[in-house]
Amino acid sequence: MGEELIGVKNSALSLILDCDNLKELEELKLQFLGRSGKLTLLLKELPKLPLEKRGEIGRLANEVKKTIEETISQAQEKLSNQNSQNKIDIDTTIPGIKPDIGHLHPMTQVLYEVVDIFKRIGFQVADGPEIETDYYNFEALNIPKDHPSRDTQQTLYVDTRNSRIAAGETLLRTQTSNMQGRIMEKIKPPFRIIVPGKVFRYEQVDVSHGFEFQQFEGFAVDENIKMTDLFGVIEYFFKKFFGEKTKVRFVCHNFPFVEPGAEAYISCNVCKGKGCTFCKNSGWVEILGAGMIHPNVLRNVNIDPNKYHGFAFGVGLSRLATLRYQMDDLRLLTNPDMRILEQF
Amino acid sequence: MIAPLSWLKEYVDITLSPKELGERLTEVGLGTERISKADDDTIFEFEITPNRPDLLSIIGIAREIAAIEKKTIKLPKLPNISKPQKSLSLTINADYKINPRFTGIIIDRITVKESPVWLKKRLQKVGLRPINNIVDITNYVMLELGNPLHAFDYEKIKGSVLNVTQTNGGEEFKSVDSVTYHLPKDAVVIKDSEKIIDLCGIKGGFNSQISNETKTIFIRVPIEVPTFIRKTSQALGLRSEASAIFERGVNSGGTIETLRRCVDLVLKLAGGEIASNLYDLKKSDFSPWKLELRLDRLAKILGVNIPEKNVLSILDSLNLSPKKIADKNLIETIIPTYRNDLKIEEDLIEEVARLYGYNKFPKALPLGQIPIKQIPYFKDYKLEEKVKNIFTSCGFSEIYTYSLLSENDIADAGFDPENILRIDNPISRDFEYLRSTLKIGLKKALIQNKPNFEKINLFELGKAYLGKSLDNAEEAYFLSGISNSKTFFEIKGLLEELFDQLGITDDPSGLIQSEDDTIVFELNFSKLLEKINLNRTFVPIPKYPPVFEDLSLIIDKRIAIGELIKTIKEQSEKIINVSLLSQFEKTKTFHIVYQDKNGNLSNEDVSKIREKILKTLKSKFGATQKE
Repeated sequence: MGEELIGVKNSALSLILDCDNLKELEELKLQFLGRSGKLTLLLKELPKLPLEKRGEIGRLANEVKKTIEETISQAQEKLSNQNSQNKIDIDTTIPGIKPDIGHLHPMTQVLYEVVDIFKRIGFQVADGPEIETDYYNFEALNIPKDHPSRDTQQTLYVDTRNSRIAAGETLLRTQTSNMQGRIMEKIKPPFRIIVPGKVFRYEQVDVSHGFEFQQFEGFAVDENIKMTDLFGVIEYFFKKFFGEKTKVRFVCHNFPFVEPGAEAYISCNVCKGKGCTFCKNSGWVEILGAGMIHPNVLRNVNIDPNKYHGFAFGVGLSRLATLRYQMDDLRLLTNPDMRILEQF
Repeated sequence: MIAPLSWLKEYVDITLSPKELGERLTEVGLGTERISKADDDTIFEFEITPNRPDLLSIIGIAREIAAIEKKTIKLPKLPNISKPQKSLSLTINADYKINPRFTGIIIDRITVKESPVWLKKRLQKVGLRPINNIVDITNYVMLELGNPLHAFDYEKIKGSVLNVTQTNGGEEFKSVDSVTYHLPKDAVVIKDSEKIIDLCGIKGGFNSQISNETKTIFIRVPIEVPTFIRKTSQALGLRSEASAIFERGVNSGGTIETLRRCVDLVLKLAGGEIASNLYDLKKSDFSPWKLELRLDRLAKILGVNIPEKNVLSILDSLNLSPKKIADKNLIETIIPTYRNDLKIEEDLIEEVARLYGYNKFPKALPLGQIPIKQIPYFKDYKLEEKVKNIFTSCGFSEIYTYSLLSENDIADAGFDPENILRIDNPISRDFEYLRSTLKIGLKKALIQNKPNFEKINLFELGKAYLGKSLDNAEEAYFLSGISNSKTFFEIKGLLEELFDQLGITDDPSGLIQSEDDTIVFELNFSKLLEKINLNRTFVPIPKYPPVFEDLSLIIDKRIAIGELIKTIKEQSEKIINVSLLSQFEKTKTFHIVYQDKNGNLSNEDVSKIREKILKTLKSKFGATQKE
């Protein structure tokens, strides 16, 4: 009988604790403690027990009864409290309490998206030095000293005081293309690589120019890389980044480290090609320089230009970010004002 | 380069509208920056790439238009120079190493006067100020044909001698526009028997310039060495139309034609007679050169099959005299001297591609295997993203600040600027030093945000530039942050969480600094990455329940909590966690979690461990249990 009592107690408690409304609770009370409830019926058996056991079982029975009663009254209290709370009118139009989280910088968000798009077509990501030698920034890229194209990339040189290094040989890289030579001299084709990073120019600052900004370089070399692959990769990237409807247009351009060389324009994502301040009313935005890697560049890293070809391109990452978010000034990206950051 | 449409039309028939023409020229590589109306004319402004000196002339641009329009170019009349009517003396000492070609002639009895209206108007349209007929003619011919030339007053050439030589450095030179320069070393100049009279390829000299009294002129059409011109021009910060052409490489075969054109115009507009033989001192003949284009390589590099007859027609439209060598599947071309950018086969491939039209190319993606081997300089952006996400999830916003700082910034932060990497030619004193810490930028950012925000939590992951001089310069990514609203222990906990996620067991306390009302932290992220361990092995969850216990101790206040926790933990491997619950004066209460992975812990088991803890703490720190 002791075991039966415990069984009744356990089943009663689990049902009571599971119960989530007052009406059911009332039914449970009847089911166990009512005139023909399970416990009541058991208690009626009590006088049938041998005398010596009655004391012990009697105490147990009382305890079980008390526990069930207490549990029911606690549950009643809890449920009726809930009910009364539910009845209070909550103004659900009050704004929620937001968790205190920070914001990833828009440049970072754009960068991660770029990396992600290129990963899908087999590109790996590299990173390299900003303090660079004249060799990797220029000469390895077929830009000898005193080449007029250096005018387009006015350079900041690092002071050589207290150093054994010759002046004018160490600079802040003007382009992420410095990584072409550094990486290619260490590996054999095939490879597909992008290199994001900071670059520096001796340039006065205005809405569209800065002395520090972010770029990324892409290059691929294999036996069968063609100019149509270059155009395809660039179009793929811009359609993924700015949307499928984006149009890409190529024009011929000269960069000493590519031949043939090209520039790409995309249909303005801000005005959809109608003309606005972002595209100087042309409907097109110049966004990238590219071309087939010059044979001299490949020779400089001991890759046979008769066997292998490659393409290379460079894009202004800062420019991508300002276009994506329609920011009309490049300097917004280096302004730590939280009123800017919190928008992203 | 500015080109009026009316001038271009003199050499080529143009059927395209100005807008279409601008677009087509941009597509073939002659970037059209602006098209504007002026009086009865249309003015084009082009961006000329460094490889194309020929496009710094009207005739050069007309040639590109002719190639687009499939038209023939009409060159201006270049009559032969007639026999001299007398012979004035002049000695020229040229040095081919510094002046590979020197073409010239003397014209006597000229009349210097104002130029005719048509000439003045043309010069004005391209932004040049008319001076007198002789100077205007030399400018006009340079703009028309692309070979710069200079006229000297013959009578001002002392000793009738022209010595082409290089400077020692420091010499004074006054240019035609009355500016005095101190010349750098190795500038190429012309000296007469007394003095410097010309800064070759850049500016003529004041002392030999054409004046209203000039009767006799010497016209010089040179080829200069690009690097000498560029070095001098850069050293002086002095650029001219001529220097822009010479530093790109002038048309080496064009000096005679240029002189012919000039002489013809001088005789027509200033009168006079030829007074010397034609001088043409030259290192070599400067003839056109041959260049081959293999048709299979063309297709292989471009990825598009352009029919052979189109290839021939494109090359022909560029005056490259293409000839198919039938048995070799290649085309032989002859490159005119004005196209010195065409040196290798790839250059010809570009010529074909650009005139065929880049936008007619189909688009593909690279075939072949996707490279698998990890590249040198590989960077794991996923890891960086994970780290940044930990910070944003704790309320920190990310900033990017400049790598370059001012001397004040450096000094205010307590560094000696002498020991910080510096830029030789900063754009301004505000951006002169390379940051060795990101804290400076973060502190400025905090101050900037104070008027608008109460709670400011910012971080940056960027490069710091270490080393006292270039000899030991080193770049490292630093991860730094600033907060005016979190406590030391919140920042410590954040860094502990970061380390946990990266599998690093270091104590971050030393990376955090409290200053006034802010907490700043900084760590060398590049170094941290060397220690990370992202391998995870699943540990089964314990089968047996833990036992919790709070233990209050009376202990010397000076003893570090960290050491106490460490000591308690060391007492048994069944202690799986210890934390400080509360402390008041000498009383410290620790929350201890016991667990045995092999079975239930009895009260007796726990009390044995507790006794060991108390014994050790007593002997080591004199601690007693609070009753």
